[in-house]
Amino acid sequence: MMGDNGNKLARLIPEASLGDQLASDPKLDTTSQKRIGDQLRAMYDELVQQPVPDRFKNLLEQLEKKDRETST
Amino acid sequence: MTPEPDLRDALLAAVPSLRAFAISLSGQVDRADDLVQDTLLRALSNLHRFERGTNLNAWLFTILRNLFHSEYRKRRREVEDPDGSYASRLKVQPEQGSRLDFEDFRSALAKLPSDQREALLLVGASGFSYEEAANICGCAVGTIKSRVNRARFRLASLLNVDDVDDLGPDSMTRAALQSSI
Repeated sequence: MMGDNGNKLARLIPEASLGDQLASDPKLDTTSQKRIGDQLRAMYDELVQQPVPDRFKNLLEQLEKKDRETST
Repeated sequence: MTPEPDLRDALLAAVPSLRAFAISLSGQVDRADDLVQDTLLRALSNLHRFERGTNLNAWLFTILRNLFHSEYRKRRREVEDPDGSYASRLKVQPEQGSRLDFEDFRSALAKLPSDQREALLLVGASGFSYEEAANICGCAVGTIKSRVNRARFRLASLLNVDDVDDLGPDSMTRAALQSSI
């Protein structure tokens, strides 16, 4: 429910009025902004550092092999 | 279309960040991996459209995002997450300790409208500029800035509600945040 409300609120503001100055948007103080940013990056970095599943290496290798076979 | 060896390496090198984005967007590792695979296949069959010298990652993110949204248009009910199902699905099995650290943050992130979550992930986590994020999402730079700003604000208030003492030492800030919501 909250997500829906947030969306509606956001859409009440016409796109055209969304300039770079963001006069109508709430602003966070820099400390909170930094905390949010740090937590977001920490969470995300953990995902980025997960090992790449073999399926992706295999996929690209297979495609290459298939193409070599068909082109030679 | 064949991946040339260096292109194949570049695609493979992009996989970790594509996965992180896809997992954060969809909240499901399996689904995210399918999305990444579809992205790679789509990219390979459209290589002629990629302008050499431009940002490969941005191009791949654009493809992934478009695939994600066209899939979600088909499954509309999952777009938003009023009942927290996204949050409960978002179990990404890193070590126990670190997962617990991010639990509150993940569930707060899951409560954001999807356009705000996406903008925040692109700019705040994936390291794209506002301009690149605007290109990836096909909208104006000002729109991205606004979404990122709202996302941060919303996260701060959500985390504040869940854990007042964790937001920061400055009670004036906290009071100001609460009174402006």
